[in-house]
Amino acid sequence: MRLGRGSRLDIFAEMADAATATPTDGSAAAALAFLTEMSPDLRGAAILDGDAAVLAASGDDPEAWGEAARTLLAAADAADPEPAEQVHVGSESGEVFALRHEGLVAVAVTERFALASLMLFDMRQALRDLAIARRGEGGGDA
Amino acid sequence: MPPKPHRVLLDRVSGYADEAAAYMRRRKIARRPFARLYYANGRAADQDIDSKEGIALFAAADRLVEVAGNFRRRRT
Repeated sequence: MRLGRGSRLDIFAEMADAATATPTDGSAAAALAFLTEMSPDLRGAAILDGDAAVLAASGDDPEAWGEAARTLLAAADAADPEPAEQVHVGSESGEVFALRHEGLVAVAVTERFALASLMLFDMRQALRDLAIARRGEGGGDA
Repeated sequence: MPPKPHRVLLDRVSGYADEAAAYMRRRKIARRPFARLYYANGRAADQDIDSKEGIALFAAADRLVEVAGNFRRRRT
């Protein structure tokens, strides 16, 4: 799968990384590799499309990521009539971030006390680049 | 007139004790679990940990941490 020239994702498109062990979408896998590379506190992450289907996920069980992410988003949306754009949950065991941007969803798990603003910035950047790449391919729904 | 030497020592020890107590208070606040939702209009809402929504959010987040934890163990 080719990505547009000048895209930040180009750098990571061919990168062999354990974080993208289960790519289901080439440009999404590249976006996930970008996120993994940029965020040292990251334990794992997943990228979903607008229908909450997993496009790429850390590890070899994308469906586990998808199910857990959908549950988190459903719980967030149940709290208010307006859909949540960002979710940030911190507990003793780690921190969880979810971000909706341009019809895509990124979910990330980090170490405790990760810098939330930087994490969300990186997630937004990854989703923005992915949305551009998908629009360039003409097959994305973003 | 300079203070007596034992008073200097006592002041210093109590200063260190105050610093340690403040550190522990800050640590306790920082380690408290939280769930925050942010909306498109810039609004943010903290969810009470004991509320129905908070419980659901923490359960979902714990499941994600579990999934990511398995992945991290495989990476290392």
